[in-house]
Order: sequence, then C-alpha cells, then structure tokens
Amino acid sequence: MLKGIAASEGIGIGKVMIVEEHSLEYQPKQVADTDAELKRFRDAVEAFCEETAEQAEAVKKSAGEKEAEILMGHIYMIKDPGMIGTMEAQITGGQCAEAALESICDMFIEAFSATGDEVTAQRAADVKDIKTAILSILLGVKTVKISEAPAGTVLVAREVTPSMTAGINKDNIVGIVTETGSQTSHSAILARALEIPAVLSVEGATSKLSSGEQIIVDGSEGIVVTAPSEDDVQLYSAKRDAFLREKRELENYRGKKTTDADGNEYELFCNIGTPKDAVKAMEADGEGVGLFRTEFLFMDRNALPTEDEQFEAYKQAALVLKGKGLIIRTLDIGGDKEIPYLGLEKEENPFMGYRAIRYCLGHRDLFKSQLKAILRASAFGDVRIMFPLITAVEELRAGKELVEEAKADLRASSIEFDENIKIGVMTETAASGVIAHLLAKEADFFSIGTNDLTGYTMAADRGNSDVAYLYSPFQPSVLMMIQRIIKCAREAEIPVGMCGEAAANPMMIPLLLSFGLTEFSVSAPSVLKVRKNIAKWTKAEADAVVEKVMAMATEAEVTEYLKSIV
Amino acid sequence: MVSKKLTIVNAQGFHMRPASTFATAMAKYSSDVVLKHNGSDVNAKSLMNIIAACIKCGNEIEVVATGADENEALAEAVQMIESGFGE
Repeated sequence: MLKGIAASEGIGIGKVMIVEEHSLEYQPKQVADTDAELKRFRDAVEAFCEETAEQAEAVKKSAGEKEAEILMGHIYMIKDPGMIGTMEAQITGGQCAEAALESICDMFIEAFSATGDEVTAQRAADVKDIKTAILSILLGVKTVKISEAPAGTVLVAREVTPSMTAGINKDNIVGIVTETGSQTSHSAILARALEIPAVLSVEGATSKLSSGEQIIVDGSEGIVVTAPSEDDVQLYSAKRDAFLREKRELENYRGKKTTDADGNEYELFCNIGTPKDAVKAMEADGEGVGLFRTEFLFMDRNALPTEDEQFEAYKQAALVLKGKGLIIRTLDIGGDKEIPYLGLEKEENPFMGYRAIRYCLGHRDLFKSQLKAILRASAFGDVRIMFPLITAVEELRAGKELVEEAKADLRASSIEFDENIKIGVMTETAASGVIAHLLAKEADFFSIGTNDLTGYTMAADRGNSDVAYLYSPFQPSVLMMIQRIIKCAREAEIPVGMCGEAAANPMMIPLLLSFGLTEFSVSAPSVLKVRKNIAKWTKAEADAVVEKVMAMATEAEVTEYLKSIV
Repeated sequence: MVSKKLTIVNAQGFHMRPASTFATAMAKYSSDVVLKHNGSDVNAKSLMNIIAACIKCGNEIEVVATGADENEALAEAVQMIESGFGE
C-alpha cells in the first residue's frame, strides 16, 4: 500500500499506465544562420499554440471553462514580450532556440517560485509545462498519447501537467497517481473537475509501480493499494459503487431548501477560512457562512494587517455571498500559534490562557481596527459579528461597547455600515454553557463551537492520545451542554447555530433537530449530505431519539444506539 | 507622466486571467505603463512580470503612464483595477 494526499474523491480500480518523461537534452551551441534558427523557433511556438488551443477546446467540453482557461493562459504566457520577445532577442544574438527557450523559462520559474506565494508558485508549473512542450517540439520527441489510453487506465506520473490533463478521456481514465502536487495544485483541481479519483504526492510512484499492473486508487483516503487481492477488489468495488450512488443521490438535494421531514426549515451554512472559500461555499450550495475564521489575515506575515486590508477581505466575502448571512468571528489566537509580530508569550497552558476575546479586549487598537473593518463590510451584505471563547457576561458587554466605539468613529468619518449589525457569542466553553441563559439576554445569536466545547467540558485534549477517548461530543455532559445552550437561546428567541464538526455528523443531527437548533454550519463538501440527513427526520422521531439518548449514562451507550439508528 | 494610487479589490489579486487581460489592454498604448508595487517597477504590458510581482487583494499599487497617450492608458488601467476586473 502506498500513501499520498487525497486530492480527488472516489475509488478507481484499473491498470497502471506510467507516463514517462523523455530526456530533453541537447547540446547548447552558437548558431551562425540566426534567421533560420529564428524561423525554427517561431514554427515550434506556433505549433505549440495551435496544439494548446485545440487541447483547451477539448478541455472546455470535458472539464469546463475555468480549466480551459489554464491552458489558454499558456498561450498568453509564451506570447508575452518578456517571454517570446526576450527569447527571440537571444536567438538573434546567436543562441540556439533550445537554450534561449530554456534560460528564459527557467528565469521565470525561479522568479515565480521565489515569491513563496502558493498561487504564484503554481504558475511556475505552467512555465515548466510550456518549456517541456516546446522543447519536445524542437527536439522532435514524441510524447505519450494519453488520449489513446484504453478503458480502465490509472495514470501514474511524476506530475500531471495541465497539457497532459487535456488529453484525458474521463471514460477511460479511472484514477490518477502522482509523485508531486497538493490539494490545490492544477492536477488536483483538474482531477476534481473531471471527477477522477486522484492520490497525489505518492513518493516514488513511477518507480514503485509498473505499467500494466493492477492497482486501486482511493482518492477519498489518499491510498493506493498495490497487488490487490480478490477480496480487496471486491471490497473496493462495493465502496466505489456506494460512493457513486451516494453522489448521484446527493445531487437531488442541490438548490433545495433545507427542511426536516415535517417541512420545518433550517439554515445550512458553511465554515470558511478565506474569501476564496466563500466561492466554494456558494458552489457547494451553502445558504450562507456560519463561521468565517479571520486568522488567515494575521498568519504568515510580519506585521498586523491594516484595517483597509481586512475590510477588503471581509467585503469580498460579503459580495460573493450576495446578501446571504456572513458570520465573521473576531480574531481567535493565543500562545499556541506562531504569530511573531504579536509578541505572544509562550504560556504554560495556552488553551486556558491569554487568547481569543481575552487577548483582543487587552489589545483594544488591534480589536477596534478589526471591528471597524467588519462594520465597513456590513454595508455590503448581511454581515454579523461573533466573539469567540466567551466565558463571562462582562466579556460580551466589553466587546459590544467596543463595537459601539467603532461605530461612532465610522459615523464621525461618514462611512457607511449596518447600524443594526448582529453581535453573537460563540458558545464553546463550559462556562458559556452554564450561563447561556444570561448570555442569551444580551447576545443577538449563539453559535456552538463543538470542538472546543467538547475539549473544555471534558477537560481533555483531543491531540493527546492518552485522553482522546474522553474527547467526544456524544459524552452525556457535552450533550447536556448543547441541549442547554439551544434551550436558552430558544427561550430568549434568538437564533442558535452550530459551527463545529459535529453539526455534520449524521448521528448528531436528530439530536440537534429535537433540541431546536436553527442553523447548521458545516464544511462546503458536507452541505448536500447534511441537507439529506436533516430531511430524513420528523420532529416526533427526533424527539423519541433524544428521550432515549438523554437517559443514557455513558458515551459508549449513546454512540452504540445512535449508530444503530442512522 | 500621470499616475494614480489604487488598492487591488478582487479576491484573487492579479492572477492569470486578470493579469493577461490587463497586459493585453495596456499593450495597445504607445506609452510606457508601470505598476509600482512593494518598491519595484513592474512592466504593465508583460503578463509574466505582473505574475512575478505577486500582487494580492488589498495591496496598494501605483499606476504610472508616460507617453503620448498616457491619459487614456491610465484611465483604462484605473477602470480595470477598480472594477476588480469584472470578477
């Protein structure tokens, strides 16, 4: 068995086709007849552009507009004066076409990679792809025709380049395995668009596997099963069929309202970490954003983001959501995160230390600039503010006071914002659960963060394998906490959501429906699954489950019972 | 010479598509068009140089146009950037 990165969901069973890379070596030489060399180079570039345009046309049909654009980008890149212009100048100066092409491409590959920016670094792969393709044409090297791969082929390559992907016929290619790449690389994006299971970053895949051998690609788990037994093949065939069946079924829930079997409506939101994720949330049919983590703005940099920079990011997300709810959580950091410029001290016990709302209330300038940025974004959509880690009513009051100050500043500068912006509490501590009735009087909404709520209620760190057995949202104590938070919110007539992982758990859903949760916030890929699971339950059935579960004394009983009914 | 300071507003910054539309649009002017970003000058007519400059959402840049049709070049550049490249 080989392990890699699960980059495109699904199971593929088939025969390996290794896509070899040809040696593209040549002897760099000075050329006397520069006109002839220039013509040879221009012909090669022309041939490359024609081929690429054809491939783009094919990709547009198989994978869609966006993917075709990546390929069309190759044409724009080579035609750029910085590329073709400089190369031609070098050839006119006496260099051979190969050397001119390679040196200029390498220069850009290095420049793009050196930015350290993921998206820009991916463009380096495009330049590499252009270089290889044109070198192959110049050297007359024949490349493997992926388009002619027989049905049931698993492509195995060092990396799947966009031009390679163009040749993929999705009826014949059942899986992709590469030695490089990540969740966000071209290979992964294209594999997902083509709905081909893919496992990337499998070390030594092209040498460990050989053409013709049967393998199983599990793109959901990131596993490649080599030399599968009869049983393996049977097991995975069943898994594959179940996966495909479920996928088809889930598509029926796209564009529908989220309702239980009685027809009561719920909000089904997504959790996001960047404005870009907001696009994914909408593509996944999310009805809003229940948790926008803002830490990305503060990580991997040397200084605090400005208010304007934050505003642009929040506004961007708001615009993508087009008036759908957007709950922005204020900065949730502490001594366990490396943010050098904040000068956070290493703490003995960071999870019980100076973090999240506690840190923000102690750094009013930083906090106010974030609140102002969020308020300004509220002029562009249904933006709401959520404070993390609230443990006492004073913290909520102090946070709200600062929001008022931020509003006054904006008013003084005649900057628009939503005067009635909703301010909510992320209920994720045992304390907030116990005083939920008090918080509910002063908050506009609750959102239950089950990950921390479980950890803080059980006093158990899920990362510590010795105590991980205690870490379960199905512990009776955690369930009682969740039930109480929802009950207090409903009594105060404020909305209550859940943005922890548990909200997507089919075993948790009947409990949440019966407790009275009004909003579920889940990861984008879970949206349709959750909608389907909510639709299964009537209120009466869910109430019956809760009655049984809340009478149980142990987590084991609870999970055993819930497993048996979902 | 004419110039204007701007903030990049589209979420993905100057990525492939906007960069190439932008470079193509600028190429039709005879004036030199330069993007000043992070202390360096980027040739606005070169897609490759724009990508290498790694200009992100929220970044501030200054567009500088110099030449016979500098006003037209600057006006189109500003329009494209401020509209977020229609994204």
